[in-house]
Amino acid sequence: MSESLSSLQLNEKLKRMLSNVNNFHLNSSITCLEILKAVLARKREEDVIILSKGHSAPAFYVLLSELGFLSEEDLESFADLEGLPSHTIKGLPFIEVSSGSLGQGLSVANGIALASRLQGKKRSIYVILGDGELDEGQIWEAAMTSSHYKLDNIIAIIDRNFKQLSGETEETMRKEPLADKWKAFGWEVFEIENKAEKLLETLFKLDKVKGKPKVIIAEWKT
Amino acid sequence: MATVKSFREIFGKTLVEIGKENEDVVLLDADVKSSTKTVYFERVFPNRFFQIGISEQDLISTAAGFAIAGKIPIASAFAVFMMRAWEQIRNTIARDNLNVKLVATHSGFSDFMDGSSHQSFEDIALMRVLPNIGVVVPADGYSTKALLKQIVEKEGPFYMRLGRDYAKKVYEDEELKLGKAEILREGEDVFLIACGFMVSAALEVAEKLKGKLSIGVADFHTIKPFDEKNLLKIAKKSNLIVTLEEHSIYGGLGSAVAEILSEKMPMRVLRIGTTDFGRSSRDYLSLLDVYGLSVDKITKRILEVV
Repeated sequence: MSESLSSLQLNEKLKRMLSNVNNFHLNSSITCLEILKAVLARKREEDVIILSKGHSAPAFYVLLSELGFLSEEDLESFADLEGLPSHTIKGLPFIEVSSGSLGQGLSVANGIALASRLQGKKRSIYVILGDGELDEGQIWEAAMTSSHYKLDNIIAIIDRNFKQLSGETEETMRKEPLADKWKAFGWEVFEIENKAEKLLETLFKLDKVKGKPKVIIAEWKT
Repeated sequence: MATVKSFREIFGKTLVEIGKENEDVVLLDADVKSSTKTVYFERVFPNRFFQIGISEQDLISTAAGFAIAGKIPIASAFAVFMMRAWEQIRNTIARDNLNVKLVATHSGFSDFMDGSSHQSFEDIALMRVLPNIGVVVPADGYSTKALLKQIVEKEGPFYMRLGRDYAKKVYEDEELKLGKAEILREGEDVFLIACGFMVSAALEVAEKLKGKLSIGVADFHTIKPFDEKNLLKIAKKSNLIVTLEEHSIYGGLGSAVAEILSEKMPMRVLRIGTTDFGRSSRDYLSLLDVYGLSVDKITKRILEVV
């Protein structure tokens, strides 16, 4: 990971990029920056990242430009006809599956994990979920599947920013007690602050947990 | 009289053959394995069989994951319940053009006992509208086996629609080809274009009207991509085209035929199918009769029109 830009600078870059597209999903991209930064730093060649909350594509693009996969011109082309798509689609660097429609990424991750197990391939699958996204019933179907098959290479990270489209998550559709829900579904839960260093530290730590899927609830503190 | 086989029995047995030929094939089930007969695959290949539970959305997206990782997943469920995951099929499998094979059973009226909730008359329409995905509706046991093998061999997403049990024999040993319609009988007055179980009904109707009308019959088992060439060839020599399907007349085979003909060769098309939801019945054939899809009712309808 490039050390060149601080979190603050990445934020500024993101804001600049979205300034002429009416701040398209700016807030959910800002809160996803640290998560993606940590995951991209941790990811090995064979690992998979699934950006289930595809609307945080702008944050992903800013980091891809930091890593040299995208140019400044690419960033400027965001959502333009021939430019970067507004939600991530298959074919972009690191993107194995198109997203944009919420609730599907964890199921796709389970499929990849089960197939990899058959193939004898060791790989981690990182799934980035929004907290609003957890309203989707399919998330909980998939949470049962990951746990049933003891997919301990599935690492879900929830961008717990307490916001969804209509407002506060707890007013729109209550999520709490969130950690208890995941525990009840058989997951190992880590509740931490949404900061890249904390996330990286946790990502290292959770490798030791065997036999169950893991979820990091990354709380955004303003 | 033609022999009757079971669509799902043939499906389950063919899966075992396919599993032996291709070790990349995996099976995903939504807790209906004993009804769909995918349990036959599980018995031989327990490690390649994945129970996803009664959760069709998770089933479809998990299958997508298997395809991304290089496997050839076959996801199977009752047709109407698989449609619960239409948006997952649309946004992941079709949009990313993933190598997933969806095999839906118990379509049309074939789940007669379970009634309107379990019967499906909308699935061809819902699948046909999606880019990338092929739509296949076999007529009998033989064609189920032949076409299932072909959709597994061919790269890309497919939706195969099967009935439950009542599969009347249509084929002996013909060489069926995915994407190519089969002309089963030539005729000059009326041409019946059918798919699924209705192909055998069409043949019986043509036989019944022998002497009164010269009736041709074609099996359009591949609804997408549609065999336009053969349709136009048939249309050219017919006065009336009649489509027959165990599906709504809106959006299915009849619509596909009417869309092409209205653009390329305008002529009269009579669409025979359903416009309602179905109901429970103790047997399949009397249910078809109630909805105008028995051999007698179809014959009567054609005579009213010509």
